[in-house]
Amino acid sequence: MTKDVLRKAWPWALAIWMVAVIWGAFFYAPSARGFKGESARIVFFHVPQAWVAVLAFCVNLWASLRYLRNRNPLDDARAAAAARLGLVFCLLATVSGSLFAGIMWNSFWNWDPREVSIVILLLVYAAYFALREAVHDEERRGVLAGAYAVLAFVTMPFLVFVIPRVYWSLHPDTIINTRGVIGMEAGMLQVLLASLVGFTGLFFWLYSLEVRLAGIRLSRQRRREE
Amino acid sequence: MIRGNWRGRMRRSNYPAEMLAVLAKELRVELRSRVALNAVGLFALAILIAVSYQIGPYTISPAERPFLLSALLWIILFFAASSGLPRVFVKEEDSQTAKTLRLASRPMAVFGGKLLFNLLLLVVMKALIVPLFCLLMGFEIAGVAGLMLLMATGAFSLAAATTLVAAIISRSSGSSTLFVVLTVPLVLPLLVVLIQGTRAAATTPPLTAVLPSLLPALSLGMATLLASAFLFPVVWHD
Repeated sequence: MTKDVLRKAWPWALAIWMVAVIWGAFFYAPSARGFKGESARIVFFHVPQAWVAVLAFCVNLWASLRYLRNRNPLDDARAAAAARLGLVFCLLATVSGSLFAGIMWNSFWNWDPREVSIVILLLVYAAYFALREAVHDEERRGVLAGAYAVLAFVTMPFLVFVIPRVYWSLHPDTIINTRGVIGMEAGMLQVLLASLVGFTGLFFWLYSLEVRLAGIRLSRQRRREE
Repeated sequence: MIRGNWRGRMRRSNYPAEMLAVLAKELRVELRSRVALNAVGLFALAILIAVSYQIGPYTISPAERPFLLSALLWIILFFAASSGLPRVFVKEEDSQTAKTLRLASRPMAVFGGKLLFNLLLLVVMKALIVPLFCLLMGFEIAGVAGLMLLMATGAFSLAAATTLVAAIISRSSGSSTLFVVLTVPLVLPLLVVLIQGTRAAATTPPLTAVLPSLLPALSLGMATLLASAFLFPVVWHD
């Protein structure tokens, strides 16, 4: 009963939260210094999108490892759902970053290390689905895609943490920079954190819908086979 | 009697011996047909001729040469390698010998043997292509020792990252296009680091110039090797 109420209330609470984040991003957060016009406000959407893309990759790893251990088809569906959402958020992060680059540096693409790393992450997700499409047997598909996901995850720390920090970048400093100082005003930080929570909630809501759908599909398939 | 001897040998055999046996088998098969060697060598040679005919040593200004030629060299090496590296597992499925190999050797020995074979293939390819590239493109290298060290590390890291992918595609469609699609995102960070290192070796003589590229390349190779070794038994016996 409580679970049902929570399930119904969750999307509404999320919608109200996201509306508040959008309002906060445009009307509550102060303007950032050193940026053209109001371009810095894109950070409230771009950073959470990039964060969710990485989070989805971690969920994909977790589900892939579970599948490789117990061969439960629902875990493979979980891995695929996380990768699918990760691909969408990765694409959104790339587009929003490119829009910011277009305004700030008069060029939508600059081959900046962070731009390169997000494109490689995008390629990893695309390759993961290319592999899934190439295998017809369901169990084998789960095993091979799971193994590839784990191998790809090993290279992720190099993409996300090493390359952008080793090579010179046009990209603005990270929120917590190398000196360990938070270089953001309190109002902006509050909105950014709220946006991070909102986008994470949005990801888990969409993810739970996908997994529930996959569960229904699997149980129907099982019933048909019986 | 034969069965008894075989069991005795299996009991005595250890991982390095089994690994070397798989490598010896790979070398024997390769020397008999020379498919991988021909594919890699001819592919690399064809691209090299096309590139040197179109660009040549004089169309690029000396200041830009290290930047452009380092990238070109690794693009040629990677795409030439990708025409031969997946064969190590694909040929087992094509000739239907994979099941026999599964019975004869333990997964780790198969992985080790195949990895060593791919490593040897890369070393041979680089030994042929890199000097030829430098000669045809007028690519002068200030730090030869640094470049050699970088090439060895690159061969190890590339073999470590691609051997498991070769096993994966052999269990799926077996197409070399899929091998490139799956490998490119995995090795792109490695290629970026290796291109930077080659540029440093071309312009700076001391060995220390390549160290900032050597360490990430080596650590990436080690990380993918460990992950591949952990995952290979699952892929091989799915």
